[in-house]
Amino acid sequence: MVVTEVASVHDSDWPYERAPLAASGWGGVLAACRPHGALVLAGIGHAGGQGSSAHRREALWAPSRVPDVVSREVPMAVEQPEIDALVAGFAAAAALAAAQDLDGVEVDAGEFSVLRQFLSGLTNRRTDGYGTDRTRLLREVLAAVRAGLGDDRVLGLRLSCDEMAPWGGITPDEGLATAAAVAGAVDYLVPVRGGAMAASRPDLHVAPGFGTRLCAAARRATGAPTVLQGGVVDPAAARAALDSGVADLVEMTRAQIADPDLVAHVRAGRPDRVRPCTLSNQRTAVRDPRNPVVSDEVEPSAGHELDDEWPPPVDPVPRDALVVGGGPAGLEAARTLALRGHRVRLVERGPVLGGALHWAAAVHGRARMGLPVPWWAAELRRLGVVVELGVEATPDDLDAVERAGAAVVLATGSRPAPPAFDSDRPVVAAGEFEAAVLSAGSTPAALADLTGPGFRKATMLPPGFRNVAFLNPGAVVVRDPIGDGTGVGIAEQVAAAGWATVLVTPDQVAGTQLARTGDLAPANARLARAGVARELRSTVRAVVDGRAVLEHVWTGEGRTLDCALVLDCGHRLPADALWRARPHLSRAGDCVAPRTLYEAVLEGRRAAAAAVSR
Amino acid sequence: MRLAEPLRVGPLRLRNRLVFSAHLTNAAVDGLVTDQHVAYYAARAAGGAGLVITEEHSVRPDDHPYEKLIRGWDPAVVPGYRRLTGAVHAHGVPVLAQLNHNGGQSSGMYSRRPVVAPSPVADPMFREVPCEITTAGIAELVEGYALVARHCVEGGFDGVELQCSHASILRQFLSPLTNHRTDDYGGPLENRVRTVREALVAVRAAVGPDRVVGVRLCGDEGIPGGTPLDEMVRTARLLEPHIDYVNTSIGVATATLHLIEASMHVEPGYALPIAAAVRRAVSVPVVGVGRFTAREHAERALTEGHCDLVGVVRAQIADPTFAAPLLPPAPAASAPSQVQESHVHEPAVQQRGFPVLWGPERGFPEPGVPERGFPEPGVPERGFPEPPRRGGPSERRSGQACIGCNQECVGRVGLNRSLQCAVNPRAGREAVPLPAPTGSRRVLVVGGGPGGLRAAATAAERGHRVLLCERSAATGGQVALAASAPGRAELGHLTRDLLARCRALGVEVRTGCEVDADLVRALAPDAVVLATGAGPGRPEWARGVDRVVDVRDVLAGRAAPTGSVLLHDEVGDHAATSVAELLAARGCAVRISTPAMVAAQYLGTTLDAEMFHRRAHRAGIALDTDRVVLAATARPDGVLVRVLEHTTGAVADVEHDWVVTAVPAEPRDGLWTQLRGRPGVHRVGDCLAPRSAGAAVRDGDRVALVL
Repeated sequence: MVVTEVASVHDSDWPYERAPLAASGWGGVLAACRPHGALVLAGIGHAGGQGSSAHRREALWAPSRVPDVVSREVPMAVEQPEIDALVAGFAAAAALAAAQDLDGVEVDAGEFSVLRQFLSGLTNRRTDGYGTDRTRLLREVLAAVRAGLGDDRVLGLRLSCDEMAPWGGITPDEGLATAAAVAGAVDYLVPVRGGAMAASRPDLHVAPGFGTRLCAAARRATGAPTVLQGGVVDPAAARAALDSGVADLVEMTRAQIADPDLVAHVRAGRPDRVRPCTLSNQRTAVRDPRNPVVSDEVEPSAGHELDDEWPPPVDPVPRDALVVGGGPAGLEAARTLALRGHRVRLVERGPVLGGALHWAAAVHGRARMGLPVPWWAAELRRLGVVVELGVEATPDDLDAVERAGAAVVLATGSRPAPPAFDSDRPVVAAGEFEAAVLSAGSTPAALADLTGPGFRKATMLPPGFRNVAFLNPGAVVVRDPIGDGTGVGIAEQVAAAGWATVLVTPDQVAGTQLARTGDLAPANARLARAGVARELRSTVRAVVDGRAVLEHVWTGEGRTLDCALVLDCGHRLPADALWRARPHLSRAGDCVAPRTLYEAVLEGRRAAAAAVSR
Repeated sequence: MRLAEPLRVGPLRLRNRLVFSAHLTNAAVDGLVTDQHVAYYAARAAGGAGLVITEEHSVRPDDHPYEKLIRGWDPAVVPGYRRLTGAVHAHGVPVLAQLNHNGGQSSGMYSRRPVVAPSPVADPMFREVPCEITTAGIAELVEGYALVARHCVEGGFDGVELQCSHASILRQFLSPLTNHRTDDYGGPLENRVRTVREALVAVRAAVGPDRVVGVRLCGDEGIPGGTPLDEMVRTARLLEPHIDYVNTSIGVATATLHLIEASMHVEPGYALPIAAAVRRAVSVPVVGVGRFTAREHAERALTEGHCDLVGVVRAQIADPTFAAPLLPPAPAASAPSQVQESHVHEPAVQQRGFPVLWGPERGFPEPGVPERGFPEPGVPERGFPEPPRRGGPSERRSGQACIGCNQECVGRVGLNRSLQCAVNPRAGREAVPLPAPTGSRRVLVVGGGPGGLRAAATAAERGHRVLLCERSAATGGQVALAASAPGRAELGHLTRDLLARCRALGVEVRTGCEVDADLVRALAPDAVVLATGAGPGRPEWARGVDRVVDVRDVLAGRAAPTGSVLLHDEVGDHAATSVAELLAARGCAVRISTPAMVAAQYLGTTLDAEMFHRRAHRAGIALDTDRVVLAATARPDGVLVRVLEHTTGAVADVEHDWVVTAVPAEPRDGLWTQLRGRPGVHRVGDCLAPRSAGAAVRDGDRVALVL
């Protein structure tokens, strides 16, 4: 079953620039999906006070004049004419879906919806009948939708049953009571958590399957066909939920962005072939004014189905191919070459595959980032790629391989940039720090004594490091000029090991780029609870005599603090010595420019195609 | 006026010295010129500008830093170019295209390609490591400039300007901050200027001698270690043989944007010393810039010899006919004195001369626009005024001065939204036709804040007979109050200009006139626009505690907090920060607290954050985030406040002499509740939902257009 992106049922709602209005476009989706045997339902809703007036430029509609906690925009309190228009809008959208022969609609009363705002005591402060009975609008809407849809099509309801704001919001008890009250009016129910304070699609810090208890309770309370929602990405977990009676259906959205063939693999008895979803949310945010297209960092052609030639064609003449580097770019290049029919050898200098992803997954809270590595390894085995670890390629090797007619892809990764400031205390780049963490055992206990035997094995640390930390028990300063998940995660990691930790950022919040993953507020709250000092709007100018000299980026105000060690989460440089020696060769990922997993995978595919086309 | 004098620039003769210089509009769709572009630029040409320079046209497919960028490299742009240039030329105005490649000030988000730059130095905003451009890549880049220049010639442009300033790979080559190369394109200035020179030579070859080629150079990047002014002047001299003019700029778009698009807290002409330094060194005309909001500012820049041409953007967004008085008098129907009259904000800064060049290391000028009095209240008369005569000079221009608020122009464009304007609700919507006039009706507007004044002005423009009643002694509403705070005086132009416009259009303005349902019945208007505004909001925890007051109480003088003041801000805009500054200046120890993650969060979008933090630091204003007030208890000489830090759950009791709140306002909608449901009754602005002044202006205009 496919449920389309929620479309607004009334033109008072334009929550993000590319948000659809309930309109004629559904028919095209239906025509494309129905031949494959899928049901197509239209998502319909209204974002109410969680919308944006940036596009329509008029006051937002909401039950009461309560500003949204994020946008802080004060909406207008709808009166009877607007309520009538809302109900009529839902009915008209349902009728439109029926007219286009869709299989049904799913009414959105979840995280971003005016229907939830009416249900919640946080946002509904009305004294009329829609306030004394906060379920009234939902009931009226469901009746109108049924009337518009007819009895022969499916009416689903996505309902927030937990706003995770027990001081005034919808609690599970209240939400399940609402669900039970309206269950007779719907054909299925998707109980979700979500609201102003709770994302229904949180990032990888929340364990997959977090909706299981709520779903089971809703199924018991309503008896209605119930859909499990909440980061379900593993086919086995989905099956367990069905087998154990938690749910009748399972929603797997991000999992199928990461692998469009998920169902096909499961049907074929090969769930192991499903490309793992990291749940990093790095490419799945839509409510971003830049209008990003939904995609996935390990499946970059998601959202670009019309742009990319993917899956790749099989090339007419099989060739030998060499891939240098076993990080994400090299792994995907090797996989692509093999899918295109070539005989592929991959050489990796280090002892394991994964490259920078290996380190990224060692950062506190980010273990899921490592999931694609074993999947790639299995894919390469399946495709017959020869993988050689501990092998360093030289320019002469490349020449020899080329002379023998092989295609070559370079994916040699990145190297740390020299520190941007003078320091008389050790400065360790984030990646090399995580490498040390891995070699030390990757536990808080191993990290508790940075001079201990486990950590000392970390050969990347500069000479003299082991004594400095011992003699100068200052803070570990995490310098984070980027603001992604790395700096925040490393600060959490070091603090969890008992070290005084200071995160220095030029921004007004820590981890500013986490806004797009939904982890910005949770990350800052975690740092506050962990006791990590956040030096905001600041930069590290130098470390002199064990004192870190910080400077306010706007006022120029200087401060100093005791510093044992700087963990530098700044930008890296390409490890491109091989490419500079042989610049005619194709290259991919960080050795072009150190960026994210998405670019590495995308360029791995492109470099593979380029290498065999020359 | 010098500003009205013609000037020769290369092969072109400009009718006056006022330039509508390049700026982003986000009007492009799918990388192409739209009807909105055409109407937008044509409106400023029709309004009197001497030269139009369009927003940037990208020279390479790997350059796509923001979604709505014009794809100059794509031949598909040419038909749109023709429509744009034809519409501008129809008003006798030449138009240039700005060519650009954003280099490392970009990301691969839209292009799905690596970004290129002189060296792998990550941009401070985009934070993506670029790929060092190869020498072959430089040759392709240069050819890209030539290709787009050819498209521009084909599309009817009179010339091109190469951006080497705000967000440009050419500036990145020029700047020691971003050019770390060791080849022929890095090192000494003569090397760093090489790419620019090669691009200029290629572009000149593409456009020929009959078209203008200019450059826009940055004279102060506002970053330690950036290009010093004397080096920028040397660059101008090195490039002079290849160019017809030099345009100037200050700041880097992705690091020091507040220098480029300074808000009302910065004086007009602030960037002129850059133009002056270049003008002393080169013989081609030089364009000066720097937040000129009145023609007098621009005139002074010329008469004092800082520049030959003046770039004025925001003032012409706010008022497309800003330059109209520079045009020779038309045979009939032109009355410049009346046009002048509606431009009421003859600023006092004019007498103060221009400040010396300033930058982050030198400190910023203090806010400098003194408060001016409000217009006298209108004479109360009964009945509706006669409709205004049509076709008079007052219809030639909207007469709104730019107030430097940056809310809808800078604030929106930075968020990938179309450029608009807080004081001119039609800016950015020039291509949207107005609904047909509906004939003359009798319109009662209740409330003389921005929403009511704009509704009255628009209704009068549309031929209605308009009576505006304002309860208090003067119009202006909350805008007048907000404008009384430190550094916010220019806000006052918004409502003063609207009042002048209402008067010029024959709106009868009655102050001291409270409207109730009986009066509405007695007046029996055909339509009523309620713009009754909003008053101080009162959080539940503040009930019964006298020393908890609203920011409006402080600004209106109803409360005068002393000693230690907690300013609790649940809004995040200038309301809290400007009152905090006011109280700090009076000697209070001020602490701003907010439940949000960032103090004064909305100052970022208007580019006021950096300067506010500097002022706050100097004034000793402390900032706390993530704080929720749970309760307040009156103490003999103060308030005991229970504060929750919601990230950790920590609760603290703190005593302050006073608590000032900035919370959503409380709508004054009593009249609405009496009148709603009757035909022809509308409400606009804060009495509907308390929002910004710009939202009130838009509401007022929209409702009045369809009365």
